[in-house]
Order: sequence, then structure tokens, then C-alpha cells
Amino acid sequence: MRALCWEGVGKLAVRDVPEPAIRAAGDIIVKVKASSVCGSDLHLINGYLPAMREGDILGHEFMGEVVETGPDVRRIKVGDRVVVGSVVACGGCWYCRTEQYSLCDNSNPQPVFTEKLWGHSPAGILGYSHAAGGYSGSHAEYIRVPFGDVGAFTVPDGVPDDSVVFASDAMPTGWMAADFCGLKGGEVVAVWGAGGVGQMAARSAQILGAERVIVIDRLPERLATAAGRLGVETINYAETDVLEALRELTAGRGPDACIEAVGMESHDVGPIYAYDKAKQTARLQSDRPTSIRQAIMACRKGGTVSIVGVYGGLVDKFPLGAAMNKALVLRMGQMHAQRYIPMLLDRIAVGEIDPGYLATHPMPLEQGAKGYEIFEKKEDGCLRTVLHPQAA
Amino acid sequence: MTSNGARWALAGAATVTAVGVGRAVARRRRRHQPEREDGWYVVHRGITVDRPVDAVIGFWTDRERLDRGLAEWATLEQVDDNRWRCVASDPVGGGTEWRAEITVDGPRRLSWRVTAGPVAQRGRVELLPAPQDRGTEIRAELRWRSGPVRRMLGLAGGHEPDLALRSALRRIKSLLETGQVLDTRHDPSGRDPKQEQATDRIREQLMVGGRP
Ligand SMILES: NC(=O)c1ccc[n+]([C@@H]2O[C@H](COP(=O)([O-])OP(=O)(O)OC[C@H]3O[C@@H](n4cnc5c(N)ncnc54)[C@H](O)[C@@H]3O)[C@@H](O)[C@H]2O)c1
Ligand SMILES: [Zn+2]
Ligand SMILES: [Zn+2]
Repeated sequence: MRALCWEGVGKLAVRDVPEPAIRAAGDIIVKVKASSVCGSDLHLINGYLPAMREGDILGHEFMGEVVETGPDVRRIKVGDRVVVGSVVACGGCWYCRTEQYSLCDNSNPQPVFTEKLWGHSPAGILGYSHAAGGYSGSHAEYIRVPFGDVGAFTVPDGVPDDSVVFASDAMPTGWMAADFCGLKGGEVVAVWGAGGVGQMAARSAQILGAERVIVIDRLPERLATAAGRLGVETINYAETDVLEALRELTAGRGPDACIEAVGMESHDVGPIYAYDKAKQTARLQSDRPTSIRQAIMACRKGGTVSIVGVYGGLVDKFPLGAAMNKALVLRMGQMHAQRYIPMLLDRIAVGEIDPGYLATHPMPLEQGAKGYEIFEKKEDGCLRTVLHPQAA
Repeated sequence: MTSNGARWALAGAATVTAVGVGRAVARRRRRHQPEREDGWYVVHRGITVDRPVDAVIGFWTDRERLDRGLAEWATLEQVDDNRWRCVASDPVGGGTEWRAEITVDGPRRLSWRVTAGPVAQRGRVELLPAPQDRGTEIRAELRWRSGPVRRMLGLAGGHEPDLALRSALRRIKSLLETGQVLDTRHDPSGRDPKQEQATDRIREQLMVGGRP
């Protein structure tokens, strides 16, 4: 079959690879219909998240049709049209029982790396390097999904592939970001990053009761899309002093909750950014934390900073003093896909959330490398490239 | 007691074999040496399984699951009420045979002693209810020592049985909680056979040891 493989830092190519097979009793094989790019892939492709190997197949946000099931699979049937959560979860450990699926104890068969790096190993993630289990990803004609009964969900008829695909990752991540904020109704929520994740976080915050949502980015097309689609306010950080603007927009209080949906390759203007970039390039710090610093400084006293942008290692100049003295609540994590997907599918079915507009660049798998280039450079108003492995 | 003892003895067999098998995989990984006591290396390792103690013991009666998991490498023979003889072979280590005697010391305690095998080894496993509805703590103590010849060949010293024990506990937990042990070794990739071999060596390093 054909698959999009990582060939070294910044290099991707479509290759002929063997087809996957059922290896464990709970496995299913999915024929991939739509497979999206994600901001996390950029961290992997650029070598900021570790333990990629040449030849690894990328992709973790996808949907398709079930073509084979292992002997223990009960809920999912051959022929089902399913969306699959990016995070692998066993369904049988304490973390899964308490719906903290991205912390699953049993889904990373190669846990030693993260145990050494972070003290414990979180769940495995499909197509996400050998630190996250070494699973093959979904930018391929077929993919093996372990614990199919736990990770795959049949999707409502009538919802297009290129819309429901985002129930795999961008939507549950955005939802969890808003869920972390503990909204009761009437809050002001600021969201850093107007990518797929940030936009879904903004929509989720609205549904969960935020009165005003303010989205921050530097890309005018993305900000315009967010304003047009979701009715949020926007701040362009390249033109405006974000802290000043947020303070004014809230009459001095600061947002009640700040969601960070940017991640470790956060960009900024000015000398501190040059310093961070230089340190990261020289691998003296693994992550660039500009947007987190800002979120902590902006947040109202006693407010919540919710981090879903991905970080891998150490950061520099983390304003712990501000967080401590303002008594902030910090919440963060990889998303618990399986906890939110069924509820999100219901909301898509009734039209409460319509993520389809994120799929700005549908293309055949063969053009995968180009698709990533457009996504990385945010060319042509690209929010997400969605690859179609079955298309000619 | 006898039937519970039998099940429980199987758990011991599983641990013995897993430790034996892990030995070959873990070979050549050495860092600081573990504690020594009277010439024995001693380690304590524990893991928490999200199942009540009875379920952990009961698990070992499910012959099919066991066969799929660990016990396919071992045979068990009852010596008397509480003692079992276990013969296990190590497929990775070229079929090396391990013989061990397993004693059921109580409803939740088990010990074993390797009577013939490449590394002198004894161990104990104890099951304790975990606090806060967290299931069962499996606590293991492993002691081993290796003869001068084997030490010279670098076959059995340092951390190996410890790494193997940690992997064994992790496998047992996964079997108990999910009925499977995952492996991504044969997932498709764009690698040629040589690159795949190199990647498998890295996989091995990332699979063995760590914290249970
Ligand atoms: N926690 C999870 O489970 C999870 C799941 C999916 C994605 N993610 C992470 O979420 C983050 C966003 O993903 P995405 O797919 O939307 O990525 P994306 O690349 O499409 O979007 C990131 C956006 O952040 C903007 N940005 C950069 N620096 C900024 C700054 N200083 N302030 C404000 N905005 C800034 C960029 O212009 C871009 O629009 C990534 O880090 C990704 O790894 C996390
Ligand atoms: Zn993602
Ligand atoms: Zn789990």
C-alpha cells in the first residue's frame, strides 16, 4: 500500500509499504478515507518531539471503514464507518476506568523513553514517534488500530468524511481545553492559536457558557475565519500589544480563563523570541513557551490557564512567580479522545458544531508532502490539509 | 486451597518464565549495580493492577488467556499440597531450560527458587489490596547471583534480572487489565529490512526495563 513516511527532519515522501495485519485480539484494521494533518505533526516532522525513525508513517487524525476485526472485538463490525481517537487506550486500566484515556497504563508498548523523560509513561498515540509507542500512522491506505472497541466510534450518516474526521483529534482537544476551564457561564475566555485546535476550543468554550471568546494569532485569514464562523473577537499579536488589549477588553480584570493552543513552536515578535528560537535551535531548551508566558501574565487573578498545545521537555523563563502569586489554576494534557468523541459526534449530528470548515485543503495522499508544506507555511488560508488515501 | 494454590502457582511460573525470557533480551544493559546482600543481588519492584486481589488470583485459571500470554513456556507439576515444580524454557535464549520450585506460602504469598538454570535466582510475590479502590499491588522481591564463569561471559550480572522483572510485571499487568500485551514491532513502515532491524533494536531498548 501507499503511505506518507517521515524521512528525516523536514523530509516527507510517499512510499510503498507492507499492509498492516491484525496482531492482537482487540485490533481492527481501518481502510482510511480521510486523514488530517495536525499541528503536532509539525513538531514531529521538525524533530522537536523526539524518537522519530526514518520510515515512520505519520498521521493520527482520521476516519474510514472497518475492513477486519480481531477475535475479541465485539462493538465494532466490519463495514462500520468509524472515526478513531488519536490516543490509544486499553479500556481496562484505572486511568481508562476514570476516563483519563490519554494516561492509559497499557497502550504504550515502548514506555521506557517517556518514563525516563517524564517519570511515567502516558498513553501511546498512533503515528506519533517511538516515544509514543511506535505505532504506524493513518496517512496510509490502511491502519491497524489496537483496542478497536475502545478507540473507534461509528459516525452518524450524512456527516461528510472531511468534517467528522476532526472528531478524532482537533475537536476533543478543543473540548478538553474548554472543559479544563471549569466554566459556569458568563466568563471571558482568551484562546492563543487560531489553528484547528484553537478554533475548536473557542467553539467549545462558547457552548460551555463563555460569554465572550477572544482568539489571538498573527494570521489574518485564520483570525477572519474564526470571527466569521464562530463570532469571536480577535487580536493580532503581530500588530497589537496582547496583554494591554486583553486588559482593556476586560476593563482591567483579565480573562477568566486562558487557553493555550499553540504549542512548543510558538512564534513571537521581538528580542525574547530571537533568544528562545536560538536556544531551541541549539537544543538548549526543547520548547519555545512564548504563548504560555503571555497566557499566564494575561490571566485574571485566580483564573485558569488551560494548556493543550504540546510541549515535550524543558522551557526557559517560565513565569512561575506570576502563576503562584496570582493563585492560578494550571490544567494541561493530551486529550482524552474516547471520553469526548461520542458526545461530540452527537453535537456534529445536530449541527451544534460544524468542524468541516477546517478542511481547507483536501488532497490525494500522493500529494502529502506538498500538503504539509502548505499547512506548515499556512499558505493560501490553510487551516488543515486532509489527505485521501483512496483517491487516485 | 489446592485449586487456589494451583492457580497461584501458575502466576509464579509466569513470573519465573518471564524473568528467564527477559534475561536474553535485557542482556548487555548495565548501569549502576543493584544492592547486594550476602552475595545476592536484591531488588524490590511493585506494580498496581486495577483488579481486586481475588480477580488477580482468579485470572490464572483462564487457561486460554494464560496460553496466549505467558504460561506457554512453562509446565507445572504438583509435588505436594503447596509445592510445585516448574520447567520453563526460554525461546529467545536458544531454548535454555529453567527449573524452579514454587511454594504457595499463603493465600496471597508465593515464593520460588530456581533449582537449575543459567542464573541462581529466588523470588517472592505478594498481593496486597491497593488503597482508594485502586485494585491490587503486586509486590515482588527478586534475588539472584551468578557464578564466576557466567559473570566473565557477561551473561548474568548487574541489572538484567531486575529489568526482566520490571518487564514481566508490566506484561502481567497488561494481561490482567486488557487480556493482551501490545507490540508494534510488525507495524508497517517505509524502512528497508536493515533499517527495520536497527529500529527493532531501539524498540527493544524502549520496551525493556523502565519503571513498572
Ligand atoms: N493536547 C492534545 O491532545 C493535542 C491534540 C492536537 C494538537 N495539539 C497541539 O495543539 C497545538 C495547535 O495545533 P493546531 O493543529 O491547531 O496547529 P496549527 O499549527 O494549525 O496552529 C497553531 C497556531 O498558533 C499560532 N501561533 C504561533 N505562535 C503564537 C503565539 N505566540 N500566540 C498566538 N498564536 C500563535 C500560529 O500562527 C497558528 O495559527 C499544537 O501544539 C499541537 O501539537 C494538542
Ligand atoms: Zn494531533
Ligand atoms: Zn488503559
